[in-house]
Formats: sequence, C-alpha cells, structure tokens
Amino acid sequence: MPEVSKMKKPDVKVVLLGDMNVGKTSLLHRYTERKFKDTISTVGGAFFLKQWGPYNISIWDTAGREQFHGLGSMYCRGAAAVILTYDVTNWQSLAELEERFLSLTDTANHDCIYAVVGNKADLTDPKAHLSQDLDGVSQDQTECEEDRTEPQVLSACPTPPASPASLSGMILHKQVTHEDALALYGRILRYKGLEEKSSLPAEKMCFETSAKTGYNVDTLFETLFDLVLPSILRKRNENQESPTVDLEECRVASGKRTKSTCC
Amino acid sequence: MERDNHQEGEAQGVKICDPPSESNPPETLATSLSLLGNHMFPEPVVRKDSTTVVKEEPVDLHLSAVPAQEQNLDAEPISTQIKMLETDTAENQEQECPNNESTDTVDRGTEDAAGDNDQSDSGEFVVTMLAKAKLEEQGIGVKGRSSPLLEAGTQESPAFVSHRDEDVTAESWRQHRKHVFVLSEAGKPIYSRYGSEEALSSTMGVMMALVSFVQSSDNIIRSVYSEEHTVVFLQKGPLVLVCVSSSQQSEQQLRGELLYVYYQIISMLTQASISRIFEHKKNYDLRRLLAGSEKILDGLLNLVDSDPSFLLVAIHCLPLASSLRDSLSQILQKAITPNLVFSILIAKNQLLTIVQEKTVIEDTRLEPADVHLLLNLIGASSAFQAGEIWTPICLPLFNPDCYFYAYISYLDPPECTVCLLLLSTDKEAFYAVAECKRKIEEAMVAQNSLSLIAKAQSYSVSQVGVSDLRHFMYKPFDVPDNYRQLSQFTSPEMEAPYSSEEEKMRLLDLYRYMHSRIHSTSRPLKLIYHVAERETLLAWVTSKFELYTCFSPLVTKACAITAITKLLRWIKKEEDRLFIRYPPKYSTTPNPSKSSRGGKSDQPDSTDNGFLSLL
Ligand SMILES: Nc1nc2c(ncn2[C@@H]2O[C@H](COP(=O)(O)OP(=O)(O)O)[C@@H](O)[C@H]2O)c(=O)[nH]1
Ligand SMILES: [Mg+2]
Repeated sequence: MPEVSKMKKPDVKVVLLGDMNVGKTSLLHRYTERKFKDTISTVGGAFFLKQWGPYNISIWDTAGREQFHGLGSMYCRGAAAVILTYDVTNWQSLAELEERFLSLTDTANHDCIYAVVGNKADLTDPKAHLSQDLDGVSQDQTECEEDRTEPQVLSACPTPPASPASLSGMILHKQVTHEDALALYGRILRYKGLEEKSSLPAEKMCFETSAKTGYNVDTLFETLFDLVLPSILRKRNENQESPTVDLEECRVASGKRTKSTCC
Repeated sequence: MERDNHQEGEAQGVKICDPPSESNPPETLATSLSLLGNHMFPEPVVRKDSTTVVKEEPVDLHLSAVPAQEQNLDAEPISTQIKMLETDTAENQEQECPNNESTDTVDRGTEDAAGDNDQSDSGEFVVTMLAKAKLEEQGIGVKGRSSPLLEAGTQESPAFVSHRDEDVTAESWRQHRKHVFVLSEAGKPIYSRYGSEEALSSTMGVMMALVSFVQSSDNIIRSVYSEEHTVVFLQKGPLVLVCVSSSQQSEQQLRGELLYVYYQIISMLTQASISRIFEHKKNYDLRRLLAGSEKILDGLLNLVDSDPSFLLVAIHCLPLASSLRDSLSQILQKAITPNLVFSILIAKNQLLTIVQEKTVIEDTRLEPADVHLLLNLIGASSAFQAGEIWTPICLPLFNPDCYFYAYISYLDPPECTVCLLLLSTDKEAFYAVAECKRKIEEAMVAQNSLSLIAKAQSYSVSQVGVSDLRHFMYKPFDVPDNYRQLSQFTSPEMEAPYSSEEEKMRLLDLYRYMHSRIHSTSRPLKLIYHVAERETLLAWVTSKFELYTCFSPLVTKACAITAITKLLRWIKKEEDRLFIRYPPKYSTTPNPSKSSRGGKSDQPDSTDNGFLSLL
C-alpha cells in the first residue's frame, strides 16, 4: 500500500466546548456564514477550516452531549485555544464547564488559551440586541431579517424561538453574571497551574455574545485568532526543518475552503 | 422461530377476525387501575400458562370499506427464465417461504415461541387500560376517531419537525397513526415519538406495569389488539419498546419497526454500554445520553413510514450507468488509509456505491438495516453541512458492541446532495480520513463526476413500457452472481395517481398488507392477486425474488401475468443500472488475519465512549 500522504495540517486548532444547546454551533455559524438559523444538535464533532489571512485555522465544533463525552479529549488534542461556552440564562451550563468539560482540555497545548463565553446575551441584555461587530453594513447583507430588527420588535420575530423567553421577547433572568464568568476563568487558570499575572487577563478572555444578533461574535473569534498567531508562527518555524512543508503549504494556500468573510 | 397461530380451515381469501367486544365493564377498568399501583391485576387478566396476549391479527385493509377480492392465481404459463412456483394451495402452505430470511435480518432474536393465543379478553382489557391511562392525564373522554386509512399520511409531518412540545392531552395527539415509546425496564421514559416523555410518564408507567406484571409470571407480553389499535411490545435488554398503531400493519412488521428504533439507539450508544449502564444503575435516566438525538429517532420513524426500504430490508440505490458507478467505485478504492473499512457515496439520500475493506468483513456483508441507520443519521444531522463531521457510530447488525468512526462530508456545497461517508475503526484517524476525502474530491473533479451524478435520477414506470402497470417493488435474492451482496430492491418513482402524500401512503399500506400476507408466519403465501377498488395488486415471491406490483383496476389476470413477464425481462435488461452489481473491495489492513463481525478483535473500537465515567 502506498504511503498515505499527510493531511495538510491546519496551522492551529480552536475548539468549542460546552453543554449542548448553549449555542456553540450557532456561534460558529454566525461567524462563518453571517447568519442565525435553526440548528440540529451536533453529532460528534464538526471540523471547519477558516482562512485567517495567510493562515489556516481549524475549528472543532463539538456536540457537548454526554453521548460523545469520550471524544472530547480527542477533539482537544493539541488545541491552541479552547472556547468554553455557557448560556447566560442557565446556571447549570456554567457549572458543567467546570464539572465536565475542563478536564477534557488536558490534551490541549500547554500554552493553550482559554476563553469563557456566555452566549444568548440577547435574552438578558438589551445592549446585546445591537451587534458591535458590524464594521460595515455591507458585511451583514446576507442575514436574516430578524437579526437586524430593533429589540422591541423582537417579539414579532417569526422564526422558531429558541426558548420560551424569546417567544414573548421579554428579558430573561440572567442566571450567570459576568463576575461568575471571571471567577470561573480564575479557577481555570488555577486548574492549569498558571499564574494569573503571566496569563491573559480575565477581562479580556470572558465574553458575552449573542449568536442570534451577532453581538460580540466577531470580536470573540478575531480576538482569539490574533492571540493564537504566536502559536502559529512558532509551529511554522518548527516545521521549517521538514522538507515536505513547502509543498504542504502551497496546497494550504490554494485551499478552496475560504469562508464568506475575508480579513 | 416460527410462531404458529394459524387458523385452520381457511381456504383462500381474506381472514377475518372478530373485532374484540366493544363493551368493557367500567368496574373492571376502575378495579384494574386502582390495582395498578400494586402491580396487580385481577386474576383472569393473564392466564398463568399463557405465553402471550397475542390475538390473531385482523388482516384485510379494506374489508370493511371496500369490496375486496383476493384469489390465488392459477399456475398460468409465464415465459421467463424463472420457473413459476406453485401457487398458494393447501399443500404448499407448509413449504418454507423463501423470503423468510429477509425479515429475519431485522426480526432475529425477537421471536419467541408463543403458545396459546386465545386471550382476547385480556387483550381488550389491556388496551382499554392504556386508553384509560391517557384519559387520566387528559381528564377528558375518548371521542370517536376517524378512520386510520383516511388520516393516513395527513398526520405525518415533514421530517424533523419536532413533536416534543405537542399537547399530549389533545385529541390530535391520540390520533397519530403510530405512537412509539421507549422506556427502561425500571419504567423510566426514554423516548416518545409525539409529546414529551415527561408529559407521558404516567402512560409509560402503565405500560411498564403491564410489562413487569407479565414478566413476573415468566411470560413476555408481545402484543395487544383492539378494534382501533395494535399495541406491540418489544423488550431488548434493559429497554422496552412499545408501538401503539392504528395502521393496519401486522404485528411482525410493527415489531420490525421497533427493532429499527432499538438499533438506532444502539447505533448511538452500543448495546454493551446500555447493558453496563443499567447494570450499574437500574433507574438511570437514559435521556441524558440520548438528549439531542430525538430528531434522529423522529427521522427514523418518518422514514420507516414512508420508505419501503425498511419494510423490504433492502437498499434502494440510485440508478446509474454501470460505467459511472464503476468509476466512482474506483475513485473510492484508490483513496484509502489504514483502518478504513467502508467508503460510501450517497446522492439524494440514495446509495451510489459502497466499497468495503476485504479482510475486516471477509465472510460477511453490510446489512441493509445498518445502511438504513447510517442514511438516517446523515439525513438527520446534515443541517450544518459546511463542516466535516467526525463521530462514533455503531453498526448494530455488524457488531452491536463496537464503535466505528464516521467521517461525513458533502462534496457539492452549497447544494449538499452528494455525501461521502467513510468509516474507520480508528478514533484518531480523522485527518488521515479527511485526506482521503480530498483525494476523492480531486478525482471527482478530474472526471467531472459531480455533474454526472447530478443527472442521475430515479426512473418512471413508463420506461418499462407496460400499460396498466402503475408501480412495483422488485427485490432479487442472492443469486450466485451477487453472492454476499447487499440486499437491494428497485422501484420506480411513485407517480399519479400516487403523487399526493395521502395516496403514496395508501399504496404503501397496500404493499405493507401484501407483504404481511407473504410473510405471514402462520400461513405464508407465495402469490397474491388482490383486487381492490382503485387498483389491483399482485405480489409474488419465488426463490429468486420478491415482487410487488400495482396495476390499474381494469387489468385482467392474464394481462397482469403478461405484464409481469415483461417487467421481469425489463429488469433483467436494466439490472446493471438498477443495482450495485459487484460491490468492490479494497485492502487497508496490512495483516489480513483480522476476524470479522462479532469478533472482538482489535478492529472496531469497543471502548465505552467515555460516558460511563459520568454515571
Ligand atoms: N436567543 C438566542 N438563542 C440562541 C443563541 N444561540 C443559540 N441559540 C439557540 O439555542 C439552541 C441551541 O443552539 P446550538 O447552536 O445548536 O447549540 P449547541 O448545542 O451548543 O451547538 C438553538 O435553538 C438556537 O437557536 C443566541 O445567541 N440567542
Ligand atoms: Mg452544536
């Protein structure tokens, strides 16, 4: 049998972790497709390649269901960034991050960075109805109409509601505060045996997002991508020794999996 | 295996069962329900020596509404190479029905010897009790329901519409044609097709009380009939599956469908894990592990109702010029990596080709049921089609205790109709397998395969060139030619007058009825000529094939026979296009000493997928 040629390895790996239904798939979909649409519960894990400038960033969207628990550490192996996602309206989803998902990151890179992301902020926070990420209206042309509507019109939103709360458009009780997330971030650093001082600050690494409105979504991904750049460069340098790399990189560069956004 | 509950003295035609008596003394109901809490029933409910509460099935779909005529064909000469078998006469009733094997694939292991079935009273009792249990939740009375045949199809919603939020107290809930419930032996709800399991927990409790009562006397409850409903129970390990159906399907068919549901659950969790979980914790809430998978089960049940592949336990592949199919197979054959065991190409939810590893599956073939589960999984999980999916999956008939790792990716975004499925035994092989996809993609671009595939489509019955023939399903059995091949069948598009959902379902119901007669355990038939009001059907099973045909009502018996002769000739002529003739193989294992199915070799991954640690 002929030697199987090595898969063009992406430069870096980012993993979305968190309980099912917190909105991981929706976040990724919002970021790559600029849309919010109905999702189907993820099976296993889904791999995406995102072109970020000259780099290829692989993103693993995981199911978060207990059924696939055993695969978590495999998806996390060698990860440069892990996005720990919870639902701001669901305290348990934050608790699960610590109980169930944090240990999966043991296989991640030693210098892996962690983001704690509270999604569905649109349900609790009027300001999350307006996306800060619009650096131009043109970018958002393809979106569903409802995404751009004003908060007070949300109640008339015709799309299937994600939860009973969005049906009425009322503001839900925010079960997880920003402070809770900051505290979790601190505990993550401790779990990893990292010094708070020499690590990225909690304020920078805790996000509140809305996949539904797009609030903070681009900021989240782009902050992370910028932060993993050093990791990419180091990896590329390490690979310089290998003669096959040039070839691989050529193929990577001509990869056709460019997403709708460019950078 | 064979359940023998046939009725004597039935020459030919339709078996009619007396509907169970309508009147049910209210005090019996009240008593029974008050006793439920103690898991006790009044003495006469289930006789000690009775194995089942099975009652002879009511058979004819139309008898009440439509004048139906059914007769045996005389052995008229059919000039095909296939010798016409004897028709259904008293002498050959005992003769083994050659197509029994096909249903065994799904049914195996579920047939228990059944004895005395003269239990109509308890049957009625039990059904009424189920109905009463629902009433308790609703606080309203049972209203008359419409004919199941009238509502056939109309209640069926498009795939993947969630019925979780449905109001279980509504009349519409009870009018669903087929309910399916899954519960644990401890009575914990696991799945309900319509309505949330929580809302139905008391109904499930009643079912479980029934099951455990019958179990406690060493009997296994199998099915219950009432005028309107057939209730079929299936216990598999620690799971109890229940179907409450107002379709006129046979118990055997309904049990086969429940088995598909069981297998789909196994495909997600493996049999071994489920056993271990319940050994560990009898009242474990399995919904924790199946959360998010409800739509996969919903999708499966919708397919089971609408796709005859499940009934026939055979694969329907997309008709394709054999040269194109061969070239696709060759592309798959060339893109391999260690531990890859199956490469499957799917278009429009139908199989294009399947290539398998030589040694892993030396002495076996992929069972159609496993392929159905895979196709359903793909259909149900493809909402976010841009990514490349990597997920553990168990093929229950191949090996119920082990996982494969499935790579699923669409080759034609954004349309997403052509799907590649690669199965590996190595959990870590994602990147290597994804690389195979890139090779396949490249080769397909070079050969312009995608646009050729896009042109492929199902065929019209008019191509057969036989007037009066409206539709058919033809399933060849293994012949030396395609020995150890995948069981397949071919069938044209359903066209007018079967274009509407209702009419499609009606035709499928007729086929299901013919199928149940052909596969009847008590009195299998080889040939049925069934004259209904709006069409005439002819079903014929030989040692070489199983055939169901639907003609316009004006056809004569002689015409039908000529038509079938022509049809068989046409299929013979077209078979290279209609079927996957020679499933190709490749070799990805360096040492060819691996054992195959069931062998707990180092091949498929038998780990527990990690969730046991979460108990
Ligand atoms: N209101 C609101 N609903 C959301 C948001 N993100 C996801 N959802 C909904 O939450 C449910 C689960 O989303 P999904 O992305 O599948 O979650 P995952 O299991 O973590 O991938 C879906 O019904 C989404 O529509 C959000 O930002 N706001
Ligand atoms: Mg998801």
